Order: sequence, then structure tokens, then C-alpha cells
Amino acid sequence: MRFTKFLKVEVDVVVARNAFIPDNKSSKEYLENVAIAFMQEEFAKVNGFKENDVIKITSKGRSVNLKVKISDIAHEKGILIPNGIYASYLTSFDGFKRFKAEIELADGEITKPEEIIEKLKG
Amino acid sequence: MSGNTEYYTCAGCSCLCDDIEIDLDGENAKTVKTACRRGSNIFLEYKENRAEPAIEGRKVEFEEAIKKAQELIEKSKSLAIYGMDTIPIEAQKVAIELAEGKEAYIDNSSSYCLGDFVEMVLKKELPTATFDDVKDYAYVIFYWGVDPHNSLPRHMSRYTYYPRGKKRQRGYEEDRYLVVADIRKSHTAMLVAKNARFIQVDDDLKLVDAFIKVIDKQMPEKYADDAVRVIREMQKADFNVIMGGLGLRYGLKGNYEKFKEMINKMNEVAKVYFIPAGCHANMRGFNEVLFEKTGFVNKYSFKDGESSLDYAFFELLKNDKVDTTLIIGSDPVNSLPFEISKKLAKINTIVVDPRKSFTTQIAKVVIPSAISGVEQGGTMIRSDGVRVKVNSLFEREINDVYVLERLKEVVA
Repeated sequence: MRFTKFLKVEVDVVVARNAFIPDNKSSKEYLENVAIAFMQEEFAKVNGFKENDVIKITSKGRSVNLKVKISDIAHEKGILIPNGIYASYLTSFDGFKRFKAEIELADGEITKPEEIIEKLKG
Repeated sequence: MSGNTEYYTCAGCSCLCDDIEIDLDGENAKTVKTACRRGSNIFLEYKENRAEPAIEGRKVEFEEAIKKAQELIEKSKSLAIYGMDTIPIEAQKVAIELAEGKEAYIDNSSSYCLGDFVEMVLKKELPTATFDDVKDYAYVIFYWGVDPHNSLPRHMSRYTYYPRGKKRQRGYEEDRYLVVADIRKSHTAMLVAKNARFIQVDDDLKLVDAFIKVIDKQMPEKYADDAVRVIREMQKADFNVIMGGLGLRYGLKGNYEKFKEMINKMNEVAKVYFIPAGCHANMRGFNEVLFEKTGFVNKYSFKDGESSLDYAFFELLKNDKVDTTLIIGSDPVNSLPFEISKKLAKINTIVVDPRKSFTTQIAKVVIPSAISGVEQGGTMIRSDGVRVKVNSLFEREINDVYVLERLKEVVA
């Protein structure tokens, strides 16, 4: 049992484009490159996250699970998530490319785009 | 580009690179040279993930999907046409004619992307330049709120920072000065080394203010060193350029007058141009075509004869102002906030797209079309305003012009 499992951290989320995201949104490569939360090594260390952890990101009552990737392209005080369906699910026009969210270690797998589509239909 | 080699155009982003070499094996692209990773995949994988004609998720014949879409458009009392950022201007013009005939709303992604900057450029409120000028003459190359390394992969290598130009013969290490302003150390910011400056900006308006104050010989609240250094570098040359992206657009929080004041002030002490650095291949094309017709670049109502924030696609959806929407070459479920895009599932949504997307999954009607640069050519307008002839691999009979002409039959 990891202690950080019980921690929730409020962070700044920045949304940015990622050149590795292919146009084919049905592909495995798409999911691998969009279902990601980038964070700096120091930020991860301080807050108890590790590469490939699945974290739950919650903003305005909506949550997605994304995989942690350690990278310097994130800013110091939070996480960076790629432009795409996950960012759009969490954001609003009040904070379209930068917003506040809570992050915590997640139990489950990464959220599939189909789960969001079902919520859209519902 | 010369000789017998045939060059194709990549319509993957607003760079519209027209120097792509492709070895074909029948209708398959065997190898793609010159293009970036994303551009290469557009040609190599164009047969994958293709949209199929469908009505409420059920696969139908193409003609049946057209008829159903015509019926929904004809019956609609309040239609919005949206997208068109990835299709040639020949097709955009047909969509605008359809909107006019139906007295519909029309908009593209620029209403929440860089449309405001394009409008300022078209109205000559911001001095602008072409990439050819930038390549030949620019000294300070300032990327503000944009990460071209990821969003416009060949922007720097083909058009701006790296190429040698007429007055820039000594290479980027000596003859260019790179400035990157971003909230984080993006991949582009990581290129900042010799003759370069990274400004980690957490308040774009304060950076704007810093430039104004430094030129007025006053002490700014923040970014004083950055502003002094950048202005000093700009004064060394007779041509400098700021490329502004989404980070700048949202960072300004609508204070465009302040930004224009800054550009004007800079031009009192140096020569500075501005180019919007948007991503979608022909977003600017739509802006210019609509501007020529109506005097506005986006969010336009043909019923009211004016442009307004109320007519932005996202506002129309948010306020339940439309019963039917025609989305062409765009995936708003991928890009718009959930609270907005969920409305698309509740109304008559018609999608014209060559590929399956998240929006095709919730659409009432899906009509497949052709991929720009691969199966349809035409004209597009690059982010610097230059018209580019899109040379495609093939020409499909069923392309965006054909589909939109068919849909337009209901208002003919």
C-alpha cells in the first residue's frame, strides 16, 4: 500500500499539442500518446508519483484516468496533458488551455475514449 | 523545387508544405520524403480509419446518407455550419453559399482559436509579413504561446529560424535571435541556447506591459530584463517577427488593444511584424473567404447579416440555438469542452469527414469525403496569408465540393 494513495494534490493543468498524436483516433498509438499526464521528475517525487502510474484527474466534477510520464516539458507546478478528448472532457472555456484540477493515484485502468462518448450520448 | 520530380502538398497543418516527394505503388504511398512525422502518416495511412456513410450508426449507401442529410437541412429551422478548417477554399465557398441560401449560422474553429488575430491582420491593425520575408530578412524570431516543435513541425526548419535567407546567410547561430515565451519549457523552448532567450511567462499581459514600459523608459512590474534584452536585439535589425499562438490568445484575456499598442510601440523603435501561428491547414482560408464576402472572419449569421459572439458555434450549442448542425472536416467532440459537445448528441448532427472521428460516433448522419492533399486538391491559405495550390495524389469524384454541392441542392 502506497501512502500517496490517500493524497489528493491540487495542480495547474496545461493543455498542449503533441506531435506524436496520429490522425487515426481508433489506433493504439493514438491512445498511447493522448492518455498521458506529463509531470516533471521533481514534482513527481515530491508528490509520490512514478512513471506509468495511473492517476485520476478531477476538474469541475468530471474525472479521467491517465498514465504518468516524466518529462521536462511539463511546468513545475502541475501537469501537462495533450490536446484531445481527455482535455476537452475536463475543461471549459473559463480555462480552456489552463485550469485547476485535483490529482490522485487511481485504482483502475486509463479511461477509454468510448467511456466519454457514452457519457456524451447519455 | 525543379526538374521532373512531382511535389505534393501536405494539408496536415497550416505550414502547407508543398515540397513533399512520394513514391507510389499503385494507389499506395510507399515512401514519403521531406514531410514531418504527422505529414508522412497522412499519406502512408490514408486508407485507414475511413468514415463510412451512416444514419444513426447504421451503415447505408452513400446516396441514402446524402438524401437524409438533405432532408434534415431542408427541415431545419435553425442550422449551423461548422468546421471547414481542413478543406480547400473551393469547398469552403460552397459551404458559405449553402449557409447563405439557408440563412444559417457559419463558423470555424478560429472563433476559439486564432480568428481574432487573423481579423486584426486582415483589417491591417497588425503589420504582417510572409514566411518568404521571414526566411530572407528576420532577425528576432519570437514564438509567443506556441510550440511549433509539436504543432507546426516544419515551421522553424522550412520557413523561419533554421533556413538561410537573402540577408540571413550566416545561419541561425549568428544571424537569428530566437525568443520563446511560454508558461513551460516546451520542446521549442528547449532549443533556446546561443543567441536566444526563453521567457517563462505566467502572465502574458504583464509581459505585454513590460515591453510597453521599457520602450517608454519606465520600470515594469515584471519581465524587465527580458523586455530590455528583446527590444535591444530587435533594434539591431530592420525585420523582426512575432508568431502568436493559442497561449498568447488566451493569455491576453481579450485585451487586444494593449497587444496592438505594444506592437505599435515596438515599431517606434524597431521593425516588428506579426504572423498568427495556428494549426489547422486552412483555417485562415475560411477566415479570408468569409471576410471577402461579409467583412467578418467567423461566427456569422446570414439571417442577421452580422457576426457576434452569440453566433460562435460553441455559444449556439451552449444556448440551444440550433436544431441541426453540419460539421465538415472537423472533430468538435475532440476539441470542444464536454458541456458544449454533449449538445451535439441531442440535435441533428451531420458530419462530412473522410475519417472516423469522435464526432462521427455521435452523429445522426455521416457522409464520407476525400482527404485534402491525398484525394482532393484545390487552394488553401497558409497561416501567413499566402495562397498555396494543393497538389494531391489523386482526385476523387466524391470530394468536399461534390458533397457540399449535393447538400446545397436543397436551397438551389
